[in-house]
Amino acid sequence: MRWLVPLFSLLFATAHAEGISSLAPKLLPPEQAFRLSARAVDPNTIEARFDVADGYYLYRDRMHFSTEPVPAANAVLPPGKPKHDAFFGDVETYRGEVVVRVPLVKTAAGQKITLHADSQGCADVGVCYPPNPQQLTLVVPAAGDKPGAFVEPGGKGWFK
Amino acid sequence: MNAADAAAIGAAPEGRSRRRALIVGIIAAVALALGIAAAFLHRGGADAVRNGSAVLKLVLPDTNGQQQALAQWRGKVVVVNFWATWCAPCREEMPEFVATQARDGAKGVQFVGIAVDDPDKVRAFVKELKLNYPALIGGFGAIELSRTLGNDLAALPFTIVLDRQGRVAHTQLGPLRQAKLDALLGRLL
Repeated sequence: MRWLVPLFSLLFATAHAEGISSLAPKLLPPEQAFRLSARAVDPNTIEARFDVADGYYLYRDRMHFSTEPVPAANAVLPPGKPKHDAFFGDVETYRGEVVVRVPLVKTAAGQKITLHADSQGCADVGVCYPPNPQQLTLVVPAAGDKPGAFVEPGGKGWFK
Repeated sequence: MNAADAAAIGAAPEGRSRRRALIVGIIAAVALALGIAAAFLHRGGADAVRNGSAVLKLVLPDTNGQQQALAQWRGKVVVVNFWATWCAPCREEMPEFVATQARDGAKGVQFVGIAVDDPDKVRAFVKELKLNYPALIGGFGAIELSRTLGNDLAALPFTIVLDRQGRVAHTQLGPLRQAKLDALLGRLL
């Protein structure tokens, strides 16, 4: 009955090929492709980081930061790598590590701040992820204290 | 018939029946295997029909705000492409879709773009590309539907090819290359 093995394999392979199971390449979920973390460096500054996995990139002009309950000034985004886009013109992209400074105004020591970080990126295999709004909560250190620890987003993203 | 003949005849059926039993066994095993495979295929087929029906039930606004039911293209080979202007790989493959629609439209191919995007940006791109097939504006409901079709990450581009019976013949995350598209259309048209 050993001859049944290849027969079954063939039939199952046919069934599989004809099926509609996902033909997706092995893609990372966005929160792993673009790992966000942030810390409160001092009463006036949040440092946000994206660790972009190899083979993935983020768009600079689609990255936005805001804070609650106190407002943030404009985030200081590092220059990206220029890329010409046929439709949008010249755009900039980030690979590897991206460090962004988000200046805070009117904070108090011990205050809880929610950081909203919007990002959007793609994989080199030719796939883009939808805009990904994420948030995380930080505690403002007192003036002269050590920077707070890095915090990652909780389970409130779209993809969790 | 003498005793020797009888013995010879008696001996032969013994060998023949063993062979017959083997043949019956093979047929039974093949039938079993086919049955199991058919059950697998049938289950996939049922999903394909159900998911295809879900796609053809979509009613979405076009770039002029007119509601368009995808059911109007039932009976054609419908290529539903989820895209966005913010997705460069999506924009890069669309000129091929335009060319294929022009080439095979009369044979019964209907491309339908579902943009996960802002209508103004879609209108601008549709004009620039001289898109010759409908560009519908899909909200996140549309991208959610694509998740049920295997697009777990809601990534773009994502393309579904429906056969003339409305069954899902192919799903593609990432660019649908012209060679692959031509092979599919060759089979389905």
